[in-house]
Amino acid sequence: MAATVRAKGYAHWDGRLVERRFPWWPITRTGIQLAFRKKRFKFAFAISFVPAFVMLAGLYVSERLEDFQSFLRGSDRLIKITPDYFKVYLTNDSLLFLIVLVLAFAGSGLVADDLKHSSLQLYFARPLRKRDYLLGKMSVVAFFVLILTALPGIALLAFKLIFAGSFKFFLDHPWLPLAILGYSALLTVFFAFTVLLLSSLSKNSRYVVILIFVGFFFSSILHGILYGIFRKPALALFSVPANLQQTGAFLFGQKLPYAFPAGWSFLVLAAVCALSAFVLHRKIRSVEVIK
Amino acid sequence: MSIEVHDLHFRYGKIVALGGVTMRLGEGAVGLLGPNGAGKSTLLRILLGFLVPDRGEGKVLGHDIRRDQALIRRAIGYMPESDCFVAGMDAVTFTAYFGELSGMPRQEAMKRAHEVLFYVGLGESRYRLLDQYSAGMKQRLKLAQALVHDPRILFLDEPTSNLDPHGRVEVLDLIRDISTNKDIQVLISSHILADIESICSSVVILNKGQVAAEGRMENLRAVRYSLYELRIKGDGEAFRADLESMGCRIDVTEDRLIKVYMPPEGDRMDIFRSASRTGVQLRYFVKSRTSLEDLFAGAVGVD
Repeated sequence: MAATVRAKGYAHWDGRLVERRFPWWPITRTGIQLAFRKKRFKFAFAISFVPAFVMLAGLYVSERLEDFQSFLRGSDRLIKITPDYFKVYLTNDSLLFLIVLVLAFAGSGLVADDLKHSSLQLYFARPLRKRDYLLGKMSVVAFFVLILTALPGIALLAFKLIFAGSFKFFLDHPWLPLAILGYSALLTVFFAFTVLLLSSLSKNSRYVVILIFVGFFFSSILHGILYGIFRKPALALFSVPANLQQTGAFLFGQKLPYAFPAGWSFLVLAAVCALSAFVLHRKIRSVEVIK
Repeated sequence: MSIEVHDLHFRYGKIVALGGVTMRLGEGAVGLLGPNGAGKSTLLRILLGFLVPDRGEGKVLGHDIRRDQALIRRAIGYMPESDCFVAGMDAVTFTAYFGELSGMPRQEAMKRAHEVLFYVGLGESRYRLLDQYSAGMKQRLKLAQALVHDPRILFLDEPTSNLDPHGRVEVLDLIRDISTNKDIQVLISSHILADIESICSSVVILNKGQVAAEGRMENLRAVRYSLYELRIKGDGEAFRADLESMGCRIDVTEDRLIKVYMPPEGDRMDIFRSASRTGVQLRYFVKSRTSLEDLFAGAVGVD
């Protein structure tokens, strides 16, 4: 080594440090790149597009009717495409499961690994604020949630118009893109806060994977048990998937699946996000730079 | 002056961590010494801008420690004591990543990462995953990430911990090269006094939240104490008590060598007079060069 040191020597860098407009961006980009280095993640990510392809096939069948005449029995349409079709895509349990699966692999180590390997002190020895760090990590979650919700949602709408060969569907439902984007944004914010919260609760990312699954699906089991005992619709407020379905139905202007105002579900989700933000604020402390 | 603090006070609840620290650090390598709980970490936290002092002022490279924290961190490279890395990364990506977070353009950060990794001796293993690095390699990696953005000041926290003797010599060589030839000031916090002694031209010794000694090594050695080493025959206890009554501090080593720390106003003839008074024969008498260890012991008041 000594030979290497003497041969190369230390040279000053003649560039100039810049103040970034988005100082969190390198954290996001690196977080996404690191996720794609995991084999299990790549598999989970690939299969998470299956629901979108199934829905795309449904759109094709619906619009290219002449190719599927033999399947029709008295109906003028094999599948009727309404805004509910897009809501079903975004709020169905299989997509939620796949989002959680992808986030379990991509998001479990976001904070946990930094805690485990004491790298928070390296981040905060840079001109980064706590909010830059958290924003960078949250944006990793946001990237994967949006790529599984907003991107396919808007793409399905575009394919619907392309297959139909007219803008009639869009003109009949001009608010639909906003509903897709709005619900995707809701999912993004909710998952960004909660996944980061769960990732900050342990230094072991494997435990965090378990926490993520338990956190999202245990609530449904709890709801099922409580509903079986008390038979009250409002008990769905205990279930994360139920609250997401309730808010999704509201945003898409569909009949609410549970007999209570959608605002209650919005409040529950907002409360979970606020609690997550509070805990994250307490757990991620720049002063830990020196122990 | 690159680092200047005046009357810094800081408390953790009821515990006083810093009780009026005032110091001015110039160029070169400076050692920050002190026993556990002396306030070294708190002082570094304040200099890095993570803690706001309860009272007092300070500037790092002319930037106010209360207001210009981002500017200070941009100009500082920090090498923490504990192992720290990002899982799943190789050394080049890791070093470039932190260069980018310091404000370097992406391409420049990558180019510079290669350079500093070669400089610290990790050139051949720069594409290996960090999870596979040995403790010594991680130590050098921490130095690389601290250097990548070419800081004007380096804060090194125990830079030679976890290193074998050969690795320790090499890292000390690097630090010496950086501090003497490269116009980068180095502030080293270490418990290994020999490291500080071999690299630093100045030291700051903290004790109980206050500066116990500060200045250039040779000045401190010359001014603060006169150290004499002696061997005696006779009643050592009475001799010791007599010397202590004159303000001397006495240490006795395992091989019965007596070290007498004479205060600046003392006279070495007092030792002979004391020996005469207490009926002790002086068999060996040498004026010793004050080592950093002696200086530390004298300043902090421990053996």
